[in-house]
Amino acid sequence: MKQLTFIFALILGVVFSTVANKPGKEKEVKIKTSAVCEMCKERIEKNLTLSKGINEAILNLDDKIVTVKYNPSKTNEAAIRKVITDTGYDADNLQCNQTAHDKLPECCQKGNESHAH
Amino acid sequence: MKTLLLIFVFFTGPFLLLAQRVTGTVYERTEAGVKSPLVGVNVFWAETSLGTATDSLGKFDIPRSAKSNRLVISYIGFKTDTLKVSSESNFEIVMKAEGHLGEVVVRGSSSQIDRLNPIHTEIITTKALAKAACCNLSESFETNASVSVSYSDAVTGAKQIQFLGLGGQYVQTNVENVPTIRGLASTFGLNYIPGTWIQSIDVAKGAGSVVNGYESLTGAINVELVKPDAREKLYFNAYVNHLGRGEINFNLNQKLSDKWSTGFLTHASTLQNRVDNNGDGFMDLPLYTQFNGVNRWQYKSDKIMAQFGIKALTENRIGGQTSFNPSEHRATTKLYGFGNQTNRIELFSKTAKLYQDKPYKGLGLVLNASMHNTDSYFGFTNYYGRQRTLYGNLIYQSIINNTNHQFKTGISYLLDDYRETYKDSLMTRTESVPGAFFEYTYNHLDKLTLVAGLRADYHNLFGAFVTPRLHLRWQPLEHTTLRLSAGRGQRTPNAFAEYYGYLVSGRKVSFWGNRIQPEVSWNYGVSLTQTFHWFEKHWDLVIDYYRTDFRNQLIADTDYATQLASYLYFYNLQGKSYSNSFQIELNTLLSKRTEVKLAYRLFDVWQTMGQPFGHVTLQQRMMVPRDRVLFNIGYALPYDKWKLDLTVQWNGKARITNPLQSLEATLDGKHNMPTLFSQSFMNINAQASRAFKKFEVYLGGENLANFKQPNPIINAQDPFGKYFDAGQTWGPVVGRVIYAGIRIKVKD
Repeated sequence: MKQLTFIFALILGVVFSTVANKPGKEKEVKIKTSAVCEMCKERIEKNLTLSKGINEAILNLDDKIVTVKYNPSKTNEAAIRKVITDTGYDADNLQCNQTAHDKLPECCQKGNESHAH
Repeated sequence: MKTLLLIFVFFTGPFLLLAQRVTGTVYERTEAGVKSPLVGVNVFWAETSLGTATDSLGKFDIPRSAKSNRLVISYIGFKTDTLKVSSESNFEIVMKAEGHLGEVVVRGSSSQIDRLNPIHTEIITTKALAKAACCNLSESFETNASVSVSYSDAVTGAKQIQFLGLGGQYVQTNVENVPTIRGLASTFGLNYIPGTWIQSIDVAKGAGSVVNGYESLTGAINVELVKPDAREKLYFNAYVNHLGRGEINFNLNQKLSDKWSTGFLTHASTLQNRVDNNGDGFMDLPLYTQFNGVNRWQYKSDKIMAQFGIKALTENRIGGQTSFNPSEHRATTKLYGFGNQTNRIELFSKTAKLYQDKPYKGLGLVLNASMHNTDSYFGFTNYYGRQRTLYGNLIYQSIINNTNHQFKTGISYLLDDYRETYKDSLMTRTESVPGAFFEYTYNHLDKLTLVAGLRADYHNLFGAFVTPRLHLRWQPLEHTTLRLSAGRGQRTPNAFAEYYGYLVSGRKVSFWGNRIQPEVSWNYGVSLTQTFHWFEKHWDLVIDYYRTDFRNQLIADTDYATQLASYLYFYNLQGKSYSNSFQIELNTLLSKRTEVKLAYRLFDVWQTMGQPFGHVTLQQRMMVPRDRVLFNIGYALPYDKWKLDLTVQWNGKARITNPLQSLEATLDGKHNMPTLFSQSFMNINAQASRAFKKFEVYLGGENLANFKQPNPIINAQDPFGKYFDAGQTWGPVVGRVIYAGIRIKVKD
């Protein structure tokens, strides 16, 4: 039984300590991106969500602002913006990573707003 | 607030030829009133397992189904709904969520009930499969309450399904609607379908459709494999557990042109570490190596859909006493050993002719040929089996006047050629069964569906027989669905393949009485599916009851032993044999990210036994626990960044035998067979997985409570003796297992 408790504690403990959003510790930041379409939205949200310290990312295509909830002891605003630029999009005043941007499908590249899906 | 499903149908214009694929986009309306595509929505044809999921733009593209014109759109948190598709080929669907009010309908949980299917069917999705390591089909039911899987003995590693209180042989196990795990393959067949190849599993309870044959006595499990035109171009999976079992799976799908695509599904796995955790001198799991692969080609045009391919498998197993080495010890009294070499090859093809202007009409042909060789030894006893099978099924479907009256009809042919030797006796059997079937479906506004099927087959050995089946689905209220089913099933049993675990014993095998006849049963079932509101949450409740009554059954009787020997008798049922199965299952979303399932199942299964030794009684079927409770809780963050799952199963007592107790009873001159019961036990599984941008890792544990059946091998110290028996396994032989793995998927 001791071993069992240990394993449970290990698996659940590790996970919940990472996952549990202690509400007091969570911070929120709003970043303006150069997202164009729904594909961009999914790409940015997924890459942000799957990055260290980020609990939730929701991008609103109307104003292109992504709202990121994160744990300030694990990440910071600069790192969050870097995820966005590395995905190929502008983040506030930061320019996107050109290589990543050029790899995006044509419809998702900057200057395609008029063709938004 | 009611869930809304708004459908906008765009006609592509009456002049255009009807596209053979249905495409569309699924959206949700956000609070701001903006349409936002829903990713990963399940889209499938009702009553089939032909399905797909929406991509990152919410788009889906699905070939028309010859079998169904009802397209089901389902997504967790939204009400599953259904479109009737006739000539339209492009849809825009808006599913409106009510999640912000905390009113969410549970879908996409481990046992999603297909709401429109007249047959009570649970769909296990890849999402549910990812809740456990699911190395192969035998491990894919861990979070499912209806199907349980256990080791058939303590030596060979063979696994058996329990379903409606009866063994896996009574369930028709199909791969893409072709009967696959049957005959000699039923021994190890569950290990032959790797989890990463599986796209979805349908579990249908009760007598199945007559279209796929007469062999589904208690139900049908249909496995859909990953298709060559799947979005995942490349899928790599590696798994390892602390006992030393390692697995590698690699899937490759390639679109060659507009019409052609090809897919490779491959698997290699091995265990080379001798594990004896219970200290009985026997390996708890056999050493094994398996190589397994499928290559499939698919052609899709407006008029024809065709696919063909080849499956090949080779597997080697060595078990027995811990230091057993076949080259040194086989067929000697130095050490007891078990070995099996299985080779299997299968050619398959499916062709469907489509009628562009009549989507309800279709003509399909399924052709299959397989060769299965299995070569085993249990100490000094050798068993060899070979099965050659040819199968063809031609199905035509259309309507009578309008789509409220549909029918399927066709002809089938099955050829099974068996050649088995056990010790010195040779047994051969060739079965040739032509048949014809007709199935009529009446549908009234999706409120009432009646399916009446009839098939007639002529068996060269056992004569002509008729298989009637009836299914009724009635939805009197929006949240209430009732189903009734009744039907006959028949199959020819294979004593050695189905009771393989009993062969790992000192028992004397004896066929008693007349030649073994086909097993015939009638199955009756009733089920209720209800969704309701309680404590501001949505709940799904499923209650079902099934009864299987055998007219004839192969009885495997291990209840007798004398001073001369202990016995394994095979004989035809004389008297009653029946199974009652009752199940109640409750699902809910505790919060946006936490889903919970609680299920209780009761099996009451009895057989008339004891004729060969003159103690005829109605006995409980062996190894069937009367009670079982299953609890599953799953937690997932958006994009499955973290996913946690915990499953607890409690298994009640089951009847078992012990040759030494049987001997005692015989010596005492008792007229009642001894009735022994196993212990009840708890099985706890847990898994955590973490998704990164390009891959996913998982870590989990099985049997975390580390429960081990005490003395799973009776008389382990005397394996060449009369009363040695490794076939009385009712619980885990190996203790806790910790595993880890990685999944890498490349989409286009």
